[in-house]
Amino acid sequence: MNNPSAATATNVSKIYGHGDSEVRALDNVSVQFETGKFTAIMGPSGSGKSTLMHCMAGLDEMTNGSVTIADIDIASLKDKELTRLRRDKIGFVFQSFNLVPTLTADENIRLPLLLGNNKGNEEWIQKVINTVHLQDRLTHRPSELSGGQQQRVAVARALASEPAIIFADEPTGNLDSTTGNEILSFMRKAVDELGQTIVMVTHDPVSASYADRIVFLKDGKIAGELLQPTPELVLDYMKNLGH
Amino acid sequence: MWRIALKGILGRKARLVLTSLAVILGTSFLSGTAVFSATLNRTFDNLFSDVFRNVDSYVRSTQVIEADFGAEERQRIPVELIDLVKQVPGVADVQADIQAFARIIGKDGKPLGSEGAGPPTFGGVGQEFKGALWTISEGRFALGPTEVVLDEASAKAGKFVLNDKVKVVAQAGSREFTLVGIASYGDVRSPGGATFALFDLNTAQEFLAKPGFIDDILVSGDGSLSDKELATAINAAIPSSYKTETLTGAQITKETQDQIGTALSFFSILLSTFSYIALGVGSFVIYNVFSISAAQRQRENALLRAIGASKKQVTRAMLIESVVVGLFGSVIGLFAGIGLSKALSALLKAAGIDLPTGGLVVPSSAVVNTIVVGLIVTVSSAWLPARRAGKVPPLTAMRETAIEVVALTRRRTLFGLLLIALGAATIIAVTSGASNKWLGLGILFVFSGTITLGPVIARPVALMLGKPAEKLRGVTGTMARQNSARNPKRTSRTASPVLIGVALVTAVAALAASIRTQIDGVFTEQFKGDYAISTDARGFGGLSPSLADDINMLPEVERATGIGLLTVKIEEKGQYLTTINPATVEGVFDLGLVSGTYADLTPETIFVSQQYAENNDSKLGDTIAVTLADAQVKTLRIAGIYEFDDIAGKYTVSRDLTKDSTVINFDLGVYIKLKSGVSDQSARTILQAAVDKYGQGTLLSKREYIDKQSGQVNQLLGLIYGLLFLSVIIAVVGIIITLLLSVFERQREIGLLRAVGMTKSQVRTTVRWESVITSLLGAVVGIVLGVGLGWVIVYALRDQGLSSFSVPVGTTVSILIMAFFIGVLAAVYPAWRATRVNLLTAITTS
Repeated sequence: MNNPSAATATNVSKIYGHGDSEVRALDNVSVQFETGKFTAIMGPSGSGKSTLMHCMAGLDEMTNGSVTIADIDIASLKDKELTRLRRDKIGFVFQSFNLVPTLTADENIRLPLLLGNNKGNEEWIQKVINTVHLQDRLTHRPSELSGGQQQRVAVARALASEPAIIFADEPTGNLDSTTGNEILSFMRKAVDELGQTIVMVTHDPVSASYADRIVFLKDGKIAGELLQPTPELVLDYMKNLGH
Repeated sequence: MWRIALKGILGRKARLVLTSLAVILGTSFLSGTAVFSATLNRTFDNLFSDVFRNVDSYVRSTQVIEADFGAEERQRIPVELIDLVKQVPGVADVQADIQAFARIIGKDGKPLGSEGAGPPTFGGVGQEFKGALWTISEGRFALGPTEVVLDEASAKAGKFVLNDKVKVVAQAGSREFTLVGIASYGDVRSPGGATFALFDLNTAQEFLAKPGFIDDILVSGDGSLSDKELATAINAAIPSSYKTETLTGAQITKETQDQIGTALSFFSILLSTFSYIALGVGSFVIYNVFSISAAQRQRENALLRAIGASKKQVTRAMLIESVVVGLFGSVIGLFAGIGLSKALSALLKAAGIDLPTGGLVVPSSAVVNTIVVGLIVTVSSAWLPARRAGKVPPLTAMRETAIEVVALTRRRTLFGLLLIALGAATIIAVTSGASNKWLGLGILFVFSGTITLGPVIARPVALMLGKPAEKLRGVTGTMARQNSARNPKRTSRTASPVLIGVALVTAVAALAASIRTQIDGVFTEQFKGDYAISTDARGFGGLSPSLADDINMLPEVERATGIGLLTVKIEEKGQYLTTINPATVEGVFDLGLVSGTYADLTPETIFVSQQYAENNDSKLGDTIAVTLADAQVKTLRIAGIYEFDDIAGKYTVSRDLTKDSTVINFDLGVYIKLKSGVSDQSARTILQAAVDKYGQGTLLSKREYIDKQSGQVNQLLGLIYGLLFLSVIIAVVGIIITLLLSVFERQREIGLLRAVGMTKSQVRTTVRWESVITSLLGAVVGIVLGVGLGWVIVYALRDQGLSSFSVPVGTTVSILIMAFFIGVLAAVYPAWRATRVNLLTAITTS
């Protein structure tokens, strides 16, 4: 991948309602997410960080603007093509309810590949499974796994199809801090060792500090950026933003 | 609690509609069949009071033989009674009445009306008379031996106009008449779809019945006497040696109405049996909906409990909801049923059974019954789920997800196995000698046991049935398979309507297949000839005995013999005797004589079956007193005993037995054996010519004849289709409701799948296969149960001569194919709903 940008948003707006009751969840946002980097999106609740992620991942429709994922302009895609794009080019990690309860861990990891009738790269999949230490949990169903293990399966699923970009929405929000840090370390490793691109929405400064770069959102607008963050830097920056 | 319950109902209109749908379905069949039966009854009541409006007295013979199935054969009365009655003071006018078999042949050479099944074809007397049953609507009544009048419907069906030549086949053979008039019966064109050919009195006697005899006399009074006095006067005027009775117009109207009522009541009972089966099966759907909705409301109920509602209050709220749903559903079901009964009438009309017109009758009993039964079924179906709802611990409110807890207790397994064991023991007891009465109980036990065990077997069976889906459809198949197994209780409840319907259909089909095999075997064993002539006269005469004699004389024929049936009284009970021609029967129709020879059968002797001889301790030389329909008593000596009683029954006599009586003899079948070397082609031509000469009977090869006999079982198939239709509808609705609720429950899962790349068509595939697996689950278990049930019924009927059991392979395969399509069909709407799940709300709400 020569393109330095895995995902680009240009002048993206998301407006709910009309006239006086109009709410601008996103207001003319333009942002790029670099290939091979771990980016965090931060901001107070209602700042539009989740909306931005949903719009860029093709889960929600934007009102204006354009988004490209792996050089594909997603605004022009129909539902079926958009679904394929999510399946083949995007990985997802949600806060909770990440796994299909009727499928085993292994089936959950391969789910996007299975849905696409795609065998995938077995060597890669094994590498992913090893990275998140799930070798001996593959035949278990989600109900037989701990919260941390479930999130590891979710991370592995996001990686399995070697997507152009992975979107993670508060992936550690439901976990205690030790387990959460473990997940974040895996995500960090996926970027450093496996060359993946990750965009993570979070409100936690410690989580955000795992990223290479933080994009701050406020009132639906980009409020600033921070490179090579530490938890202290993030806290300071947020204070300055008036959080 | 009322307010909370009502708010709960109104807050979820979709759920109300779904739950009510199950109630509506069950109750609409109930009210529909009740309204239909009541309407039919009143229609016929009105018809007969109309028809006999101007009949003041009715004279008929007192000699009657009542046979099985409510059939009766009343002796005819001499024609000279007409003049006797005419002279009674107070009598204004009389008409002789004859009811006999007559078949109108259409212009295309084919008889009008359906052959074999369908409404009967009659011949009778039509004449000018004040109290006439028939009124002329075109032309005039027939006069002389060459004229005929047809009922309006037949004239229309045959495209006959006045002065056309009409061929009619009756007892005396086939003749051509000139159509001189068209008549109607009361205000209908033809009663109940029957066809009528009307003649003048002399022609009717000679052509339809027996010269010198009529069936009854209709009398119209001059008004000087009351109906009662007139009847008494007529009765007094007729010498008692004639053995007649005189009824008033009101009496004969009442009697005819009652007779029709009895005939219709078989039909009504059948219909209401179906509707109760429907309701019973529907109650599974109702129970299922309440269970699922209780599970989905677990958090809400737990919250109520947490803020201080008692267990009782939570339960009561759900019961109140069930009362509202039950009332709502039953009332709609009532109206839907009225619509249904109209549809039934339209269906019958389309099938050629034109019922007299008349308004719909909605008896108040049907209204009350529908609503009360609907309410009871709904509330009792909701009882268990409501109690379970009350038991929800308040802590559940704090938990994340509310999914039905699936605990399959060992108690359930044990109880289910116990019921099945009890049932099996009862059935074994019956097969080893206990009364057949216990059979129903045994079957009920096995059914209840299977339903109880349902949730236990649902998971393994669903997983097994889902294997091909997984192979075929990859991960979507895997998910469908797992989904159908993830809540075995729900799956088995959903599959229950399919199970019950399929089990009943399979059992009836097994019975039909067994009977067919049996008939086939019996005729193959006894019928040794090459061709047969059969008749569709059914109780109204048959083939002239001289037909068999004529064919017997043909040079190409080795031997031909006729077999007939005679209704007589033995020990005051109506009985059927088989009549044969002892001179020609040997080698064509085999009775399996154990003792005696055919030559021993004379007008003074009788043959009995081995079974009869054993049961009654009879031996050769014993005598049996037989009363013929004309009251003659014959004392017959047993001269032979035979083994094959499936066709011949208990008694067989010579056809010459009735030679010196007024009873007319018919053959119901002629069996023919050809001389060797005669080709099929030439035999057919020659035999057909003989048949055509008589204008009656159908020439069939041995194979065709046997197939036709065993094909009579097809009437049982009507029952199968009725059951099938009901279970299909209920099963489809049941699956739709469950799937919709499941889709609703799995919104987040579906949202997640859509997010990670499941296309809409893959979502639909998953839902569809889950539905198919559920439907097949019911079908497979139902077939197993049904085949077992069929075997048990066939076994129980072994005394009725059923000795072989056949598995209905064809029906079974069709049921499986149909179950597959039921699954596909039922999934259409829920699958569409599943694709409409809002992806974003599904994954963001936690």
